[in-house]
Amino acid sequence: MILTGAAIADAVKEGSIIIDPFEIAHLGPNSYDFRLGNRCRRYVVRELDCAKDNPSEVFEIGADGLLLEPARIYLFNTFERMGSTAFVPIIRGRSSVGRLGIFINITADLIDIGSINQWTLQLHAVAPIRVYPGMLIGQVTFWVPYGEIELYSGKYGKLVSPVASLSYQDFVRPSE
Amino acid sequence: MILTKRRIEEEVAAGEITLEPFRAEQLNPNSYNYRLGHRIAASDNPGAGHAAWHRTEIPVSGITLQPGVVYLSVTEEVIGSRRYAMTLIGRSSLARLGLFLTITADLGHVGSACRWTLELTVVQPLRVYPGMQIGQVAFWVCEGPVHVYQGRYHRDTCVSPSRDESLIKPGGGA
Repeated sequence: MILTGAAIADAVKEGSIIIDPFEIAHLGPNSYDFRLGNRCRRYVVRELDCAKDNPSEVFEIGADGLLLEPARIYLFNTFERMGSTAFVPIIRGRSSVGRLGIFINITADLIDIGSINQWTLQLHAVAPIRVYPGMLIGQVTFWVPYGEIELYSGKYGKLVSPVASLSYQDFVRPSE
Repeated sequence: MILTKRRIEEEVAAGEITLEPFRAEQLNPNSYNYRLGHRIAASDNPGAGHAAWHRTEIPVSGITLQPGVVYLSVTEEVIGSRRYAMTLIGRSSLARLGLFLTITADLGHVGSACRWTLELTVVQPLRVYPGMQIGQVAFWVCEGPVHVYQGRYHRDTCVSPSRDESLIKPGGGA
């Protein structure tokens, strides 16, 4: 089951959903529209490797925005700090952003229950497009879990978004 | 409703969810991490029929995926359920490296159990490794009577974990 806008507002009020800052005008019938943050991280090498700590740089985006190039991945923080201890968040783009050829996540739309943070978005543009900090970029939905809840305690939990991939921590290389 | 880690574990034990092989450490709060298989097929002209697909084994040293190419691979695990519908989800660790695991087709039908075909595409060149934890699957409670899935790909991708992954099945053609 997916929460309605009214149920999201109730859960924010009672504290089982965190959306900070919360603006009632951003509630949709089944979702909440969130904003793009102003911190961007991108890799400084073209060829990436799942088993390596790929070097990246982080920088702030000004009011004039950033032109996204199709050949790169851009990691951004969400402006809002979000999460829930009772519902499972799933993020998606807004249709008006989708119509511009912007992906806001790359297949990974499920947020772990208990992951309460500014989330890291994975922006990818099909054609060159300029984005601006604070623009409404995506929407979050909340889903009812079935079974006993165990909250997220993973490797991204305490870090300041946008966080580069920590995939390399999964690897125990056969040669080592 | 989406199943929690604990419920997934219980349903694996009860036989209502198939995750083979099952490793409890691959459970997340609401999903299970699956691994990349050992075979991959690549095409930069995927509409040109089976001959346009180049199939290869992924070496232990990995393979670098290139942008502009569609790659098909399979999950190492057999994944399925007679009771729950499934969604194929990426892991944020790999999403942060620009790896797509599916091209909009993320629904796993209730009643199917198979090694899932992954549709891999990358934004930047990316080296991947066989057996790495590459994506996750979530399980969803259904409403209404369940009719077991009889789709076209079901038979082709249902290989047992012990068999070779030579049945990666490109789309196209009836």
